[in-house]
Amino acid sequence: MDETWHIVWFTLGSALLSMVVILPIGLPLAWLLARKEWPGKSIVETIIALPLVMPPVATGLILLKVAGRRGFIGSFLHEHFDMDIIFTWRAVVLALAVMSFPLLVRSLRVALEGVSPRLEGVARTLGASPLRVFFTVTLPLAARGIIAGVVLAFARALGEFGATVLIAGNIPGRTSTLAVSTYLYIQLGQDDAAWKLVAISISFAFVAVWLSEWLGRKQRVTV
Amino acid sequence: MIYFSAQVFLPLNHFPLEVAFEARDLVTGVFGPSGCGKTSLLESICGLRSPTRARIELRGRLLADAAKGISLLPEKRNIGLVPQDLALFPHLNVRQNILYGVKKGAPTIHLDHIMEVLEIGSLLPRPIHSLSGGEKQRVAFARALLASPELLILDEPLSSLNFALKQKIVTYLIRIRDEFKIPMLYVSHDPLEIMELCQEVLIMEEGKMIHRGKPGDLFRSCLSPVH
Amino acid sequence: MKMKKTLTSFIVAFLLSALWLSSVSAVELKVFAAASLTDAMRKVGAMYEKAGGDKVVFNFGASSTLARQIEEGAPADLFVSADEIQADKLDKAGLLLHDTRVSLLSNLLVIVVPKESKLVIQSPGDLLGDAVKRISMGEPRTVPIGVYAKAYLVSKGLWARLESKVVPTENVRSALAAVETWNVEAGFVYRTDALISRKVRIAYTVPAGDGPKVSYPFAVVKGTENLAASKKFLEYLGSKDALGIFEQYGFAVK
Repeated sequence: MDETWHIVWFTLGSALLSMVVILPIGLPLAWLLARKEWPGKSIVETIIALPLVMPPVATGLILLKVAGRRGFIGSFLHEHFDMDIIFTWRAVVLALAVMSFPLLVRSLRVALEGVSPRLEGVARTLGASPLRVFFTVTLPLAARGIIAGVVLAFARALGEFGATVLIAGNIPGRTSTLAVSTYLYIQLGQDDAAWKLVAISISFAFVAVWLSEWLGRKQRVTV
Repeated sequence: MIYFSAQVFLPLNHFPLEVAFEARDLVTGVFGPSGCGKTSLLESICGLRSPTRARIELRGRLLADAAKGISLLPEKRNIGLVPQDLALFPHLNVRQNILYGVKKGAPTIHLDHIMEVLEIGSLLPRPIHSLSGGEKQRVAFARALLASPELLILDEPLSSLNFALKQKIVTYLIRIRDEFKIPMLYVSHDPLEIMELCQEVLIMEEGKMIHRGKPGDLFRSCLSPVH
Repeated sequence: MKMKKTLTSFIVAFLLSALWLSSVSAVELKVFAAASLTDAMRKVGAMYEKAGGDKVVFNFGASSTLARQIEEGAPADLFVSADEIQADKLDKAGLLLHDTRVSLLSNLLVIVVPKESKLVIQSPGDLLGDAVKRISMGEPRTVPIGVYAKAYLVSKGLWARLESKVVPTENVRSALAAVETWNVEAGFVYRTDALISRKVRIAYTVPAGDGPKVSYPFAVVKGTENLAASKKFLEYLGSKDALGIFEQYGFAVK
């Protein structure tokens, strides 16, 4: 029972941390995609969507290459900060972040696009800078959709397996997430333990998706 | 005197918008069928659209000049806009809406004066969705006015109202014109509104200005109000 | 219209006969074998086919994973495990043809480090040093290489102190890859795996008498649909030709 709680809290914590990482990157990016046209936009859109469509282990392999000690980022961190990513909790957060990023950007973009550009335009004529418009008009009106998007991405992060198992392994007490532990229990033939984790996973997923859908049905106020 | 001048060239879907005029009257009307480019013209003057070529001057202040590479941001042009759907902020109440554009330091138009002219004092704490059509209209005017614009652009503000309400609101517009004396550009497809408010009207068709003159002269044939 | 109908029925007939023909074709044996046997087994399988034998298709992985798959009804004809434990599991469950079970090969445990690593391991106790932050091995609770490694380290009184450094992997090849990519400082693999890789070097070989007895049991799976063919291939695996190949790769013949 102890182990189960540890796995659950670790998974929740890692998923939360991954949200903290991708939200500040995803929101401006979603805004750029929703409101502006720029050269290379379609290529960026495609690259962002890749982890959503590619087999998770393929994404995991790419991350392994980049974040490993011999990799572009991994070697830099290892040499200058004596910090490792692969096989540590950082790899878990990285895997969760990368795999839920496309879903987050997609949802945020839809939420932002749902705000009438005319409202933003009028705000500009009233003397508001683009930044002020974003914080006083766009964000409040898109808030529900944004939260729904974060909840959905969080749910995705909770269930992430393929990339996680590749770059973080399944080190007991260190990188054991819900999904990866379920797999291990199956391997070990401990089906009861596996089913317990499955039940927990389903509950989380159910709540998250329901919450996300409920928030997504914003009440539209006609002016 | 010339209140403002605008020369705009902007390719649209079916034809280019090519307009050049100077406003020598306080209220200039723009009349034309839907799709003739009126809204694009307004957006270009406000700075919400970037025309291919433009030269816009407001009270001697250069807002845009493509040749010199100048194009002021909308928030710097000091042009108020009341769009067709009013675009009131649904998440703010009436008071927050109308105070949105008030600049600290130099409010040349006072809240009390506006509330008096437009009779919206009792509406201040109300949420937008609880207002009637006419009330929303007045709130939209108030919001634009409180930002102390040097030019006020109204895009078919009365088109969604019924006849009785239209008459009522027109009286408010006349009040605004006479009280605050701010230059206005008034777009409409209703000749009667234009005749009541505007001193001059530009007639547009397919992106071009085909006539300009006094509303009375141009609309002489439109005396019967069947439309 | 009549032309279209004729064409359609012709295509359908063609597809159906192709399907039927493919099912009637030669036997294809499915062999579930431990990951450490990947290269050697493939070569033996190719030799068998060339010598006129049936086509052999392999499923390589951790013996524990493979055993689990067979338990769940995966269609295997032969099972080759890297330890007796997994074979016992299936045997007890009545999933193997007990009479066919034979332990043909053995292997040695080694500690490998990245090829250019300066690490020196003169005894397993050296793993306690600060220079070794992480050690990869198959999951010590199920994967044979991990089970062997843990048993060995327990016997040396080192397991308790090293446990926190262990990075459990899916199978022995993943443990090897972790060393190859420098993501761990050292790893436990079989000698045969180390010999195949060009990116690691053997830092320490666990002497045959010192470490756990590595044993590879081979058996025909009970649910096989190709009993005769499976027995025939199993016989071949025990032949001089096949065993010679295994020896080439570094396996010890029992």
